[in-house]
Parts: sequence; C-alpha cells; structure tokens
Amino acid sequence: MKMKSFLLTAIFIFFASSVTLSASSETQGGVAGEEAQQVKPYEPKSITQLSAAFLERTGINAILFPQEGVTNGHGEEMTLFEQSTGRVIMFVIIFLLFYLAIAKGFEPLLLLPIAFGGLLANIPIANMTSEHGMLGIIYNMGIANEFFPLLIFMGVGAMTDFGPLLSNPKTALLGGAAQFGIFGSLVGAAALSQYTGYVDFTLQQAGAISIIGGADGPTSIFIASRLAPELLGAIAVAAYSYMALVPVIQPPIMKMLTSEEERRIVMPKTREVKKLEKLIFPLIVVMMIAFVLPDAAPLMGSFALGNFAKESGVVDRLSNEMQNSLINIVTIFLGLGVGSKLASDSFLVAETLGIMVIGLLAFSVGTAAGVIMGKIMNRFSKEPINPIIGAAGVSAVPMAARVVSKVGAEARPGNVLLMHAMGPNVAGVIGSAVAAGVLLSIFN
Amino acid sequence: METDLVLESLKFMALGMGIVFLFLYTLVLLMQLQAFIVGKFFSNDKDSGGTTGSKSSNEIDEKRRIAAIIGAVMQHKK
Repeated sequence: MKMKSFLLTAIFIFFASSVTLSASSETQGGVAGEEAQQVKPYEPKSITQLSAAFLERTGINAILFPQEGVTNGHGEEMTLFEQSTGRVIMFVIIFLLFYLAIAKGFEPLLLLPIAFGGLLANIPIANMTSEHGMLGIIYNMGIANEFFPLLIFMGVGAMTDFGPLLSNPKTALLGGAAQFGIFGSLVGAAALSQYTGYVDFTLQQAGAISIIGGADGPTSIFIASRLAPELLGAIAVAAYSYMALVPVIQPPIMKMLTSEEERRIVMPKTREVKKLEKLIFPLIVVMMIAFVLPDAAPLMGSFALGNFAKESGVVDRLSNEMQNSLINIVTIFLGLGVGSKLASDSFLVAETLGIMVIGLLAFSVGTAAGVIMGKIMNRFSKEPINPIIGAAGVSAVPMAARVVSKVGAEARPGNVLLMHAMGPNVAGVIGSAVAAGVLLSIFN
Repeated sequence: METDLVLESLKFMALGMGIVFLFLYTLVLLMQLQAFIVGKFFSNDKDSGGTTGSKSSNEIDEKRRIAAIIGAVMQHKK
C-alpha cells in the first residue's frame, strides 16, 4: 500500500513538473515571439550610426529626400511630390488660412481648428491621420459616420429663433429660391466634368460640391462625408471660406439685380408671434420630414430637437448645454477632423480648384436666385417686400441677414431689415437641409 | 451607354427645386394655419421674446387691474 502511494505521488510530481516546465517554456517562447514582432531587438550601434538613424527619422529628411513606397495614414502610397513640395505648399496654404482666420476674422471658430488639423496632418512620419493617429481617431469618431455635423445642427437649432419667419411665413419661399444655387452648381459641376475634361467628377461628387451653395457648413460636411469623403477637406474649406466672404460676395450681386428704389423699400412691421407658435413649429417641421423626406431626418431632427428644447422653456439646462459647451466641444473635433483631410495627398488635387470655382458659382447663383425671387414676390404681394432680403435665403445665419440689413441701410438710412431678412435666413437652413435630403434620396 | 451627366443633373435640379418649394410652401401654409388656430383659441398666450413692439408687462398689468376694478364695481352695484 505504501509502495503504491509512493509511486502515485512520484508519477504525479513528475507529471506536474513536466507540465509546468513545458508551459513556462511555451509562455517564454510566445512572449519572445510577440516581442520580436513588435519591437526589433536592439543591436549596439556607434554614435555615427545612431545620428544617421535619427536624421533619417527627421521631417527635414522626409521632405527633402522623399522616397518611393512611403504610405499615408490610410496605407496608400504617396507620390514624391506629395511627400516633399506638396507638404511645403500645404504649410503655406495653412498659414494663409491662419492669417484669414485671425487677422481677417474669417469664420475663425472653424477655420482655425481646421487649419491646425491640416498643419498636423501634413507633418511627415508622425502619420497623425492614420487609424491610430489623433486626427484619424477624431475623423473616425464623428465625421466618417456623420455624427459631429448633427450635433452642431442641434446647437444651431437651440440658437435659432424662428419668430421672424413665423411672423411673416411667406418669406420662407425666398429661402427656397436661394437653394437654386445648389442645383444650379450641380449642373455646373456636371458640365465642367463632361465638357472640359479638366476634372472628372461623378454625380455623387458633383452633388456633394454643390451643397456649398446652401452656405451651410454642417450640411456640407454631412453630405460630403456621405457622398464624397475624398473631397471633404476641400468642400469644408470652400464652404467656410465663402461663408466668411458673404459680406464681400453678396452686396455687388444684390446691387446689380435691384434698382436703388427697390432697395429703399420699407417693409411693414411684423406681427407679434406667440410662444405657442414657436413651440409647435419644430414639431411641424419634424412631422413634415417624417412624412415627406425621411432622408433629411438626421439633419432636421437634430435641428428641431435643439429648437424644441429652447422653446419649451422647461429644459434650459439642456438647451444651454447644446448651444454652448456641446457645440464648442464638437466644433473643436469637427475642425480637427476636417483638417485631417487637408493632408497634401488629399488636398492638392485638380478637383480642389474645381471645387473652389463651383463653390463660388453656387454661392453667387443662390444669392441671385433669392434676390430675383424677392423681386417677383414684391410684384405680386400686397405688402411691399424689399427684394434684397432674398439674398439672406442662403443660410449663413446670421451673417447673410446682417449683410442685407447693411445694404438696405445704405440705400435708406434708418431702414432696418434685419428681422425681415432673418425669416428667409432661417428658412434657408431648412431649405438646404431639404435639398440635401433630396440629394441623399437620389443616391441611396 | 455612358451617362449624360448634364442631363441627369438637370433632372436632379427639376426634382430638387420642386421638392424644396413644395416643402417650404406647405410649411408656409401650415405656419399660417397654426397662427390662425393659435390666435383664435389660445389668444391669452403672450410672446416672451417678441420680435416687434410687444406690449410691456406694465401695460398688461395695468389693463388687468382696470378689468379687476370694473369687475368689483359691477359686483358692488348688484
């Protein structure tokens, strides 16, 4: 009996120790194998070798001596031009954007983070736009899936007062006419692509570019990331630059299309709007979207939520958060994420120039269509309508309305058109979201 | 057959502008309808922000006070 138990114990000890040994050797081997995959074993180097290896990893070296086979953040190979001169050109463009944002006050809230994102995206070797890079993470977190523009829209909704539109509903049609800029430039982009051969836009790309005519940053980014993510950087930069240029682009068009007499028209005071009307309005918009154009539901839904929270008057904490902290945080992320598309390999392409040209065309056509609609409405309406308020139909809230008011006051000092222009202005936001929904419904 | 981009985009334009106007026009009608309904059945509701010359609260309080006085006088006369 003793013998048996002794033998059993001996076998058990032998077995246990052999298993432990083999397991530990396997573990060591496994760890060593993984480490070999991740980190190269260090070999002793001379100080010259160390310095040379360091120099190879510098940005100056990467820019001055570009090499074949270097990939961008998405694993695509970069051309020699994109690695060297391209980066330098982008640095110059980015410094120009900084200048415009800071010294000239061009939409600094977005242009500054966009430009800084672009600066970071163009740093060689760091690969910040890759999946694990900071910009790449931000981009995938909220732009690739179109989330950030919607949060911005929520904040804009919480800041918007529909009072001026509700007091004079028919001015909403002016906001519709200005959307002609979107579809007019869609035709323009298609024609440019078909007849010149200079650029080769698909219909989806043409649609994404033409949304610039809606003068609505978040909508442009939303549509671009859905229809043509490769053009996102150029589209966002064009959209925000032209929005900032509203005071320069619009007045000449308004003056060209209207007589001095028309610009001097004084509009009657608008009626009082009840609080209940303002509260019901976002619900009407959402229900219309639900029945007519579900493709625009993400945009208009978040916009209406923000507005409803504000007008309800019972959730001030939420409404304040939407129009302050939330929109500010998202603006930082949105700017940096869009900036990641300002890397030389995605920005310095022939299409960018085409986008800039079509964007300007879209903006101008939208303004012109709004003013012409204003003239038509003035002719047929019982109450006088100053046609220049049609120019505010391109969204760009509230700058377009301010510009209209300024031009009106130039023609007749003391004539305040701001509140009248805010009607088409906020209708323009709805109009461009509807236009965006139509484009999405076409391509879905 | 290659797609005629311009022709397609012209169709998009016709559809897009049509929908935008139809949507906004319906919205105009609904706004007018709601203004009518709210004005008729909820006329006591006052605007908080006010886009143009809304009556000051003092003026409204004054009117209420006058109404209360008239009411009291009528009661007293009975």
